[in-house]
Amino acid sequence: MSRDLNPDQPLLEVKDLHVGFAADKKTVVPAVIGANLSVYPGQTVAIVGESGSGKSTTAHAIIDLLPGTGRITGGQILFEGQDIAHARKSDIIALRGSSIGLVPQDPMSNLNPLWRVGTQIKESLEANGVAKGKAADARVVELLEEAGLPDAERRAQQYPHEFSGGMRQRALIAMGLAARPKLLIADEPTSALDVTVQKQILDHLDRLTDELGFAVLLITHDLGLAAERADHLVVMYRGQVVESGPALEILQDPQHPYSKRLVSSAPSLASQRLSSVQARAEVREQAVQTAAEIAAEVATHDDELGEGRGTIVEAKDLTKVFKIRGGRPGQSTDFTAVDQVSFQLERGTTTAIVGESGSGKSTVARMVLGLLDATSGSVEFDGVDITTLRKKDQQLALRRQMQPVFQNPYASLDPMYSIYRSIEEPLRLHGVGTAKERETKIRDLLDKVSLPASVMTRYPNELSGGQRQRVAIARALALDPEVVICDEAVSALDVLVQAQILTLLNELQSELGLSYLFITHDLAVVRQIADNVLVMQNGKVVEQSTVSEVFENPREDYTRMLLDAIPGGSIPLGVVEAGDDV
Amino acid sequence: MWWYVGKRLLQAIPVILGATLLIYAMVFLRPGDPIVALFGDKPVPEGTYQALREQYNFDKPFLVQWLLFLKGAVTLDFGTAFSGQPVIDLVQRAFPVTIKLAFMALVIEAVLGVAAGFYAGMRRGKLFDSTMLVVSLLVIAVPIFVFGFVLQLLVGIKLGALPALVSSQATFRELLLPAIVLGLVSFAYVLRLTRTSVIENLTADHVRTARAKGLPDGQVNRRHVLRNSLIPVVTFLGADLGGLMAGAVVTEGIFNVPGVGNLAFQAVRRGETPTIVSVVTIMVLVYVLTSLVVDLLYAWLDPRIRYA
Repeated sequence: MSRDLNPDQPLLEVKDLHVGFAADKKTVVPAVIGANLSVYPGQTVAIVGESGSGKSTTAHAIIDLLPGTGRITGGQILFEGQDIAHARKSDIIALRGSSIGLVPQDPMSNLNPLWRVGTQIKESLEANGVAKGKAADARVVELLEEAGLPDAERRAQQYPHEFSGGMRQRALIAMGLAARPKLLIADEPTSALDVTVQKQILDHLDRLTDELGFAVLLITHDLGLAAERADHLVVMYRGQVVESGPALEILQDPQHPYSKRLVSSAPSLASQRLSSVQARAEVREQAVQTAAEIAAEVATHDDELGEGRGTIVEAKDLTKVFKIRGGRPGQSTDFTAVDQVSFQLERGTTTAIVGESGSGKSTVARMVLGLLDATSGSVEFDGVDITTLRKKDQQLALRRQMQPVFQNPYASLDPMYSIYRSIEEPLRLHGVGTAKERETKIRDLLDKVSLPASVMTRYPNELSGGQRQRVAIARALALDPEVVICDEAVSALDVLVQAQILTLLNELQSELGLSYLFITHDLAVVRQIADNVLVMQNGKVVEQSTVSEVFENPREDYTRMLLDAIPGGSIPLGVVEAGDDV
Repeated sequence: MWWYVGKRLLQAIPVILGATLLIYAMVFLRPGDPIVALFGDKPVPEGTYQALREQYNFDKPFLVQWLLFLKGAVTLDFGTAFSGQPVIDLVQRAFPVTIKLAFMALVIEAVLGVAAGFYAGMRRGKLFDSTMLVVSLLVIAVPIFVFGFVLQLLVGIKLGALPALVSSQATFRELLLPAIVLGLVSFAYVLRLTRTSVIENLTADHVRTARAKGLPDGQVNRRHVLRNSLIPVVTFLGADLGGLMAGAVVTEGIFNVPGVGNLAFQAVRRGETPTIVSVVTIMVLVYVLTSLVVDLLYAWLDPRIRYA
């Protein structure tokens, strides 16, 4: 086989690929149905699609690492003209690492926690015969430097748990590129990272691609990101390639209904549109009106907490200091996670807190919820200082009126509880209604979050991520709260599902007059849901203003950096607008 | 790390005080008079009875007995047995035998258990795996003394392949059969634990990444599957070593092993407080030390664990 690359010959050609998972001895569930794609030397091709679209399965089929019972059931995978779909196992092992590299999705689980990072990269060098012993050690340091990891020599000696997510992903990139493959498969390489880190990593990967000239097959669910990074897009939907072509062409003139939906509603792209600002203004107008009616009611009720003020949550100089245990008994250092944070949340509006991991935004949320005691400062809920609530019934009332929705819908629902039981639990705990009344309420809640009543008897593992988050929202709304605190409530979801959940939250806000405190690391989603923004960095508020002000005139460099990190922000869009009928 | 080791050793002091006090209380509450029992059917002369009661401190309240024992223990004087021998001599003779036995059992269960469990996990659902699952279940279900007597009869007497009883020399060959019996139940647990852990690790993301690097299967399995699978096994083995010492009572009885199990059993029957408490103290000490070693081993296996 000739090792010379002919630029006119595809490096990788997938022809009519079928992949299936054996459910039992007789039935095979198809995951990829007749996929076609080709990657030319030096080219970046992106496969875009939602979870379950078959994009990752296609990628894993190429290097023969299909999980579990997955099998290639038809078609060809030609790498440099040779069919590797039907090659011997030893031939594939020879190909892995040296010809086809992989950068996997989740940097947290893809490094072996028991081996030093350097050792794990060295393995790749030795297995592919690139270098051995001392020479390999030296090469590992070079590779880590190349992947943009400062202080590489020391870092190579450390273990994965001593690395942050972004650093681990850099180590995985170094590992994937160690034996200089001609094709690098990057499977959602940044979806587990903050947007700012995502941008750094992808920028770096772009530079390396240019310098080293390898081809990249990028797998992503974010169309904005794909269009920004790839020359050529392949859109997959339910196991099939529904559209493929030059990136800009698809973005500006999508043909398939699914691509159109992707273009019109991915938050990264939608955040640029003025229409989302108008839509938000309408939601707010209605929500504020409904909220005012509720406030009037609250003011006359005794069993509800609060006075019916316009400002429903007010944080004053909130500070949280954690003590970090030192190396010796009795030693400790202070770490200020949240430093003098103040804000007001008006009834019927949304205040977003934006920042990277470690900025203290989730700590603020936990203090507002009363789940964590503040070191100093206060939180007032409708004029009542929540830190002074001592009576059990007052604390319960606060819980009823302020409810959280957490990030990970996979972890925040008890897997042993049916959906009905999960939503019923808060009602039962607070002794609301009879069994019959509770059931009516649950049906009503499921209807509100657009889930069929038939999900009541099902369990969380039978639902998709988006459906689970709807259940979590239904549970939060069960006690008719006035404030809902969404802690990264859409971050773990695919872009289209993100868009759906944001729409749902908007609808619920205008209908029920809810007030949201919306915690996120992604400015892209803020424009569709929030009215005011707090930008946090290292525990401090660096910028605090209205959403349009932040998007149009960011004052701080840090805010500008967050805005730049929204993928696809620089791409001119076509004529498809959010309101279009697709 | 030395802070941690020091802290753990200091923690052993209240543990030993508590354990010996508990044993003293239990022996004190035990029905029957040990001195009377010593004379069997014969009548006990009043003078001798009083003298013996005084010699063994049986005339004093049990808290005082306990304090007197502690006072002696500090100077390594653990008192004398009813036979007149210093307890320390008895213990010194019996302990090496039990440690040898327990260690042999540990090696058998660890080496064979991990090997069989790893192989079964790699070939999940195949014949070897299914056989091992049934065999291990059987071993766990059947009481240990049944295996003791059956193996003694079959291997020791019918086949004559290994000695059926242990002499006072307690040689390696003599201890082999009791060691197998002693390690059998833990072997089954280790096998199952390793198997589950291997199956879990085989589908781990980092194992897939290791394959994607181009590593050959052998290296992936050894470096990325086996090592990661050992963590829960090591925890189990550490806790089990203490159990092997205590569990030796039954096995040592069957094979007549002159170890601490036998010594403790005889002493309990006679109500010989100094011997019982001495043996228990040393067992507690061994338990504390082995669990410390296991925790340190654990930290060596898993770099995420650091002791401060």
